[in-house]
Formats: sequence, C-alpha cells, structure tokens
Amino acid sequence: MSAYSKLHPLTCLVGYLCILIPAMFIKNPVIQLTSLLGSVLFLSVICDRKTIGSDLGFYIPLFVLMAVTNPLFSHNGATPLFFMNGNPVTLEAVIYGIFMSVMITSVLLWCKCYGIIINSDKIVYLFGKSLPKLSLLLSAALKFIPELKRRFRLTSSAQKTLGQYSTESYTDRIKRMCGVFSSVIGWSLENAVEKNNSMKARGYGMPGRSNYSIFKMTAADKTISVLYIACLSLTLAGAFTGKLYFSYYPTVSGIPDSPLALASYFSYFVCAMIPIIVESEEAIRWKYYRSKI
Amino acid sequence: MEILQIKDLSFTYPNTDSPAADGINMTVNQGEFILVCGASGCGKTTLLRLIKKELSPAGNLKGEILYNLDAKGFKETASAFDVGFVFQNPDSQIVTDSVWHELAFGLENMGIPSDTVRRRVGEMASYFGINEWYHSKTDSLSGGQKQILNLASVMVMDPKILILDEPTSQLDPITASEFIKTVYSLNREFGITVIIAEHRLEELFPLADRVAVMDGGNLIFYGSPEKACGALKDNPIFEGFPSAVKIFEGTKDLTELPEGYQCPLTVRDCKKYLNANFSHLSGKEVKVISPEPANPVIEAENLYFRYDKNLPDILRSMSISVCENEIMGILGGNGAGKTTALNVIAGAEMPYRGHVKIYGKKIKDFKNNSLYRNMLAYLPQDPQCIFVKNKVSEDFEAALAALNGKNQNIGSEIERISEELGISHLQNMHPYDLSGGELQKCAVAKLMLTDPKIMLLDEPTKGLDAVSKNKLISLLRKLRSKGMTFLIVTHDIEFAAGICDRCAMFFDGGIISQSAPNEFFSSNRFYTTSSHRACRDIFPNAILTDEVIGLCRGNV
Amino acid sequence: MKKDILIIFSIVLVVALLIMGTDFQSVEEYYQSHPDAITPDSKTVYFSIRCDTILQNTDKLDPALQSSEYIPEDGMILAPSRYVLRDGDTVFDLLLRITGYHKIQLEYQGADVSAFGSVFVEGINYLYEFSCGSGSGWTYLVNGENPQTGCSKYEPKDGDLIEWFYTCNYGEDYTPLQNQTQPK
Repeated sequence: MSAYSKLHPLTCLVGYLCILIPAMFIKNPVIQLTSLLGSVLFLSVICDRKTIGSDLGFYIPLFVLMAVTNPLFSHNGATPLFFMNGNPVTLEAVIYGIFMSVMITSVLLWCKCYGIIINSDKIVYLFGKSLPKLSLLLSAALKFIPELKRRFRLTSSAQKTLGQYSTESYTDRIKRMCGVFSSVIGWSLENAVEKNNSMKARGYGMPGRSNYSIFKMTAADKTISVLYIACLSLTLAGAFTGKLYFSYYPTVSGIPDSPLALASYFSYFVCAMIPIIVESEEAIRWKYYRSKI
Repeated sequence: MEILQIKDLSFTYPNTDSPAADGINMTVNQGEFILVCGASGCGKTTLLRLIKKELSPAGNLKGEILYNLDAKGFKETASAFDVGFVFQNPDSQIVTDSVWHELAFGLENMGIPSDTVRRRVGEMASYFGINEWYHSKTDSLSGGQKQILNLASVMVMDPKILILDEPTSQLDPITASEFIKTVYSLNREFGITVIIAEHRLEELFPLADRVAVMDGGNLIFYGSPEKACGALKDNPIFEGFPSAVKIFEGTKDLTELPEGYQCPLTVRDCKKYLNANFSHLSGKEVKVISPEPANPVIEAENLYFRYDKNLPDILRSMSISVCENEIMGILGGNGAGKTTALNVIAGAEMPYRGHVKIYGKKIKDFKNNSLYRNMLAYLPQDPQCIFVKNKVSEDFEAALAALNGKNQNIGSEIERISEELGISHLQNMHPYDLSGGELQKCAVAKLMLTDPKIMLLDEPTKGLDAVSKNKLISLLRKLRSKGMTFLIVTHDIEFAAGICDRCAMFFDGGIISQSAPNEFFSSNRFYTTSSHRACRDIFPNAILTDEVIGLCRGNV
Repeated sequence: MKKDILIIFSIVLVVALLIMGTDFQSVEEYYQSHPDAITPDSKTVYFSIRCDTILQNTDKLDPALQSSEYIPEDGMILAPSRYVLRDGDTVFDLLLRITGYHKIQLEYQGADVSAFGSVFVEGINYLYEFSCGSGSGWTYLVNGENPQTGCSKYEPKDGDLIEWFYTCNYGEDYTPLQNQTQPK
C-alpha cells in the first residue's frame, strides 16, 4: 500500500481535482509537461515494473497516434512543411498535436494513478459524506456484483456440462445464456430476501442510524489539502488573468514568463509533485529508522 | 436464571394445514448451550426465527415467547440487538463490500458514534483474529472466514442470546469444527446463551448443555445429551448421532455396565468404553472383499491445469483411473483443487497438458456435446445451478426436449425416473422451495434423464442431514447396481467410508494414495472416521459404526 | 482492452488516410500555380478578401491574431483585382487558385465531408470561424449580395465582383467599400 493512498479520501479527491483541472483546461505547454512529468513519476512509484512495462506499450503508441492525427486534420499554422492532397501539413499543427497528446496522456495516467489510490472504500466514503443511504447502497452493490458474476459462471458451467444446448450453434448458445440469465435473476431475488433478513436481524431500519468510516482526518491530511488548494488557487489566478495564455496558431507564441506565470508554474509543479513527495518522504523516513536500528 | 421462556408455542404458515411448530414448551437458562436438532423440515428454523422477532415469519401464531434479558422479569419483546442471529449461507447474509464496514454495520444501525464504533469493532476484530483481513473485500474471503465475519458482526452488538441456524452446513469439516469451537468459547468465556441448530452432531453433542429434538413441529425431547441417546434410539434422527453413541447403543446389551453408566459422547469416552468391555475380541478384522479389477472407464493421465498463465498449477501431474461400475471417492483438504480436478474430468475445463479418456475415447473427440449425452453427467456443488426454470417438471421437460428432440415420449420417461427416485410429488415445486435433500434428488433425476453411464458428484452431502445422507447412499447404490459408475469428490469422511469402493487422497495437485476404504482409512491416523479412531486399538480395520457393532457381536 | 483501443485507433487513422488519398506536394510545388494572363477576350472577375469588420471588434479577436501580420491595418487581405475566369469555374475554384498564387493560407472542409454538401471554408490567412466572437466566420458576396449557395456550387459570370468577407455578426455587418472599383 502506498503512502499516498493512506491519506484521507477527501485529501485524495482534492489532490485529484487540483491536478486535473489545470491539466485539462489550461493550454500551456509548461503546465502540460509538468502534469505529464508528475503522472509518470507517480505511476512509477505506485506500480510495479511489470505493469509499467505493459503501460508503456500502450501509452507510447497512443501518444504517437494522437500526435500524428492532429496535423492530418488541422491545417492551420503559418509554417507549412508539405502539402497533402492540397492541404498544408504545418509545423504548428504538429506541435499542437504533440502537446494535445501530452495533455491527454497525462490525464489518462493521472486517472490511472488515482484509480489505484481511490479504492471502493474511499468512493463509498466520499458519496456517503453527503448521502449516507447512498453509501450503504453502493457498498451493498459492490458486494452483490461479484456474487452475481460468480453465480452466473457456476450456473452457466453447470448447464454446459448438462449438455442441454449444443455449443456449436450460436442460437443455442444465446438460448442457454438467456435461460441462465433468468435463473440468475431469480436467484438474486432469493438472495435479496436473505440479505434483507440479515439487515433486519442486525437492526437496520431503526431510527438514528450513524455512519461509521475507518478514515480519520489527520493533521497531515489537512496540511496537504490546504497546500493543494493554495497551489491550485495560484495556478488558476495565473490562468484567469491571462498570464498563462499560449497559442499554437497561426504561429507558436512564446512561453509566458511574467512573474505571475512563473509563480503559477511553480505552484502547479508543487501540486504535481505532492504525491511523489508523500511517497518518498515515507520511504526516506523508513530508511532513516532502519539505519538507526 | 431463565433468560427465555417459550409457552405453548404453535405456528402455522399461511395456506398450510399442519402446524410448523406445535405446542412447544421450553425454557432456556442464562449461559446455556442449546443444540436444536431434527431432520430437515422438522420446524427447527421456524422455531429459531420465531425467537428472533425481526425474522418472525408471517402466519398464525399462538402461545408466548418471553425474554428476561436484564434480570428484571419477563417481557414480550427484545430489542434487535439483544438477540443475535447467524444464518446458514455465509455469503448471502453479508451486506457490505468491506470487512470493516460489515463489522460496523450493526453498530451504525444502533446509532453509535464513530469513536465508540472504532473501539468496539477493533476489539471484536482482534478477538476473532480478523485484523489481518480487516481491510479486505468481503468477496475475497473463504467460506470459513465469511462465517466468522458473520459471527463477529453479530457479536459486536453485544447480544444476550446468540442463535445460529445451521451455520456450518456450507463449510468443510475442518473449518466447521473451528467455527463451532469459536462459538463454544464465546459461550464458555463470556456466558452468552447459545441456541444452535445443526446436522453436525458428532462435534456438538458433547458440547451442548441441553439438546432439543424436534420432529414434525413437535419438541419430542428436551434434556441432557446423554439422556437423549437412550431416549431416541428408535427415532430416525438417531442416524445422525455421534458414532460413539451409536456404538454404545448397539453394543451395551452385551456388557454388564454399572447402573447409571453415562453414554459416551466423544471418541475418547467411546475408546475407553470399548477397551474396557471388548478387549477380548482384540485383533478381529472386517473381511474385505477386494473388487475384481474391471475395465477402466475414466482414465486421466498426467493432467496439468492452471486458471491463468500467471497463476500456480492447481493440478500437477494428476492421474486417476476409475473402473466400470465402481464408486470412487476423492478426499482432500479444502481448496486443494478437488473441484477443479472434477471440472477437468467433466470437460468443463481443459488441461494444458495431459488428457482425459472416457471409455477409451479422449474428451476432445466427443463432438457436439455427445460427451454429455448417454455418457457423462456432472452434479456441481450447488445443485440449484442445475435448475433454470420455475418448476422442477419444466426443467425436466426442457432437458429431455433438448436432448432427444420432440418425438420421444417425454412424459413417460420423466414419470419413470421420478418414481424411481421418489420425487413425483415435487414435480410442481419451484427449485428454490425444495429442501437440501429433495433438491439433491431432483438434481440427480435431471442428470438421469440424459441416461448417463458415468456420474461425477461434487460434495453431494453438503448441507444434508443424516437421514437424507442415508437416502442418498441407498440411491447411489441402487444406480450402481444398474451399471453406473460414480466419481465423488467429498470432505465427508463418514460418507466416503460408507459408500465408496475405492478412496483416493488428493493432495498437492495430484492423487497421492488410493485404496479400498477399509485399508485407506485404517492406515490414516487423523484423516479417518470417528468410529475407527475409537476402535483402532481393538479392531484394526473397522471404519464404520455398523462394522464395529458387528465385530463386537461377532457376526461379521 | 488496451490493445483493442490502439488497434481501433490505428485502423480509423489508416482508413481515413486511404479515403483522403495520399498525394504529397512540397511547399514549392504547391505554390507554383499561376493565374492565367489576362488577354482582351478573356472573361474576368473582380476578386477580393476582406476582414475589415474585425477592426471594429478587436476586443473579441483571438489574442494570437492581434498583430498586423495577420490582420492588415486596412482590413484587406487581398485588395480587389481582376482575375481570369475560366469556363466552369466556381467561386471556390477561384479562391483556391488565387490564394495559392498569393500564398495565402487556406483551410476548408471538402464537399464530401461538409454538412452543407458544398465546400466549407474554415479559415483564410489564419483567420478561422469563431476567431472573433461566436458570430464570426467566412462568407462571400457577389456584386454585394449573398448568393445563398455553397461556394463550390456558384459559378460567377464575366465581370462579377466577388468578395470573400469575414463577418463578425452572422453576415449582418456587410458594408460595401467606398472606393470600390465598379464592374465594367
């Protein structure tokens, strides 16, 4: 379990939004590259080598494909490289394509990271904050779905070994699936009755239900959340005042370097690095204690 | 102090004539361990649900149930939290997806603030040894862990009375006895009143303070377990009593016992009793007629199987051969891969190395489901999976129609088999409304419609009471006499000893030993029947209670 | 799953390339085209490209284009001039040929993919639709009137005055030029 995933769900959510909002809405290469850098580093910390290897096999070709696609369809830009079917393929469109890919890849990677970090317990907690009933429903559904899947597999395998329906014919297979499906639905109703009994037996439905969670907001959670929000505010301040404005067409403009822009870059960089800082802080602390033993 | 009083309790379900509980009177003392037993459908579950008010079935109720939970006198009601209830199926009573949430669920319903919940959940998790899987998903737990979780999430609410309705019927024997030990220690260490309904009497009998035996809605016996043994000698329920009791009752007329000699309940006491009274017969053996080698019909050679490339092998060089017209049992620990082995032999999974031959023909050469027509049938662990329609008879018809086309005389074929298995009266029932034993029979009947030569059974005795188990044994014997071959995977040692011609031990991905049951079980010291454990000093190869009684009587 | 995404993506890209055909030209090759020399008996039209409406709407203009490099100070990207009209030429053919000659950037949607069944001009000289507010885009007028026909369907007559006109308000802001050269 990574150190970052031990943070409070709300802190994780704040971190997720603080990293994604600028990455998706601010068209500035510095922001986009920072986001990519942060996501790659974070992923390399929380995933093992094998998954990273298979991920590279996916994200690099995806990156190239997206980068190639843009200049084929967008012909804006003052520097034509060559003409294809009478349309210019321009340097600006190529650059724009590359940075779009940077943006999309980094967003995908962040989503992947946070998919690992925010597990179902955290999701249930986040929903339950506002709607306690919904959180119980979600939790029950998350229990029920794998049960239903297993039941489907068992029934369908039993029907297969009964040899009732020929497996060579598609219509028979569909028929079998329908039969199995309807029986699984019947089973799930039966199961729901038992679940309801079990809930009643443990006093569900009595007035004054409380909502327990294993998560506790610690001082570290609060500090990190505040840091996140402060950084996001500064980044957004830069964006809303137009200090981060960057354009690709018709010619690639210069990277804004006003003091506010630099401050925005830095604060976004901090946002992107918080996960890695949290992770490595724990690793360093651990090594330190080990060295003392 | 009395904690529960049941006075003249009668209960009739709507639209039925005969009462499910009839004139029951019983009192339960604080801290008692009560075992409720009786054949399926005797009214055990009805009684237990009536005691737990929140689960009271709808119907016509007469009489009273009174609670005295706080020593302030009897009351008609008890709060949902004072009476805890653990159900039969480990899976379907779990409500939430996380272990910690499941533990906290009851406390949340009580409206307890978070800090208190944290403390009580933590305490319970430590006591039940849940801390290691506290953050796990409930779905990833084993059956035994699930049932422990269910017990813990009831106990966390601090109930005064704990009711358990066949809690171990879906568990394997080792997990089940661990579960029972946990319940027993709750009773001994915390003084919680326990009322438990079970078929597994071998272990519970010695633990119970009082036994309540029900039959047809009546409470026919309520008293100490030692007294129950003598009193119920002629009742069919006696079949399920511990081997020690059966051996004692079958042989006590041969001995001169002092007045008031207590019936032995445990293997230890039975061993003492046998050694004291029958040591003069020492060394007598059961004559074992070893079956003549017959033509092998299932041959599996060097099977290797794994579910995924990255997962370890479940089967490693497994070989087995089953002869024609024989009942072969595969025994082995939980999660060892026995079910997987059966799946591979049934052709539901493909081994990545090795092959299975049925009647000398490789499984992959059976084209177009011909393997499952007039050849091989497979009864999975949960016989409900066999049924997909709303009526037993509809399922039978669909099965026959799919197999033979419409031209066959479907009705008469179904009638013939239903009569043979004694399930004609169940034809119009919904499969979910059948009891365990009835469902098992109907499932076998559905398999019989395909007219198989070989039948594979996976844990056929799971959840069955002793009477149904005996019926299953005689059913399988009858089918074998008609030339069928059986391969049975089971945990149930007594059942395997009673029915198999040969037993095989499955361990570490393969079969490590196989022989006839008398030899198989008498060479095991721990993994063997309780009768054998009791008599091994005197009768080295007797494994069944009947064999022990027979040897004592000298008529084997 | 991931593999499927990559494969589908690649297939779509390859199919798109095949449909569009692949005819590569270098920049020099592309800009080699010359308009026909005007002879006394050739048919001609007056042709201009204007974006003077932007001058009143500079607040709405995309900041990247706020430079005299892209928006000429008089709003005339191509001042009115006479060009030979070949037989069967449409307004779009003229635009394509003339921008090619003057090396003016042009991006359009072909008639086959455009929703109008006619070529749709997206941008001229880096100035695109919506570059100057939500009502902005390219339109054309013939003799000061909107023909209400797609530019690749309208065949002008000898002596017509064709104006490609950048509107900032759905075509409502057209004003004829003061010193406009009248058709002969």
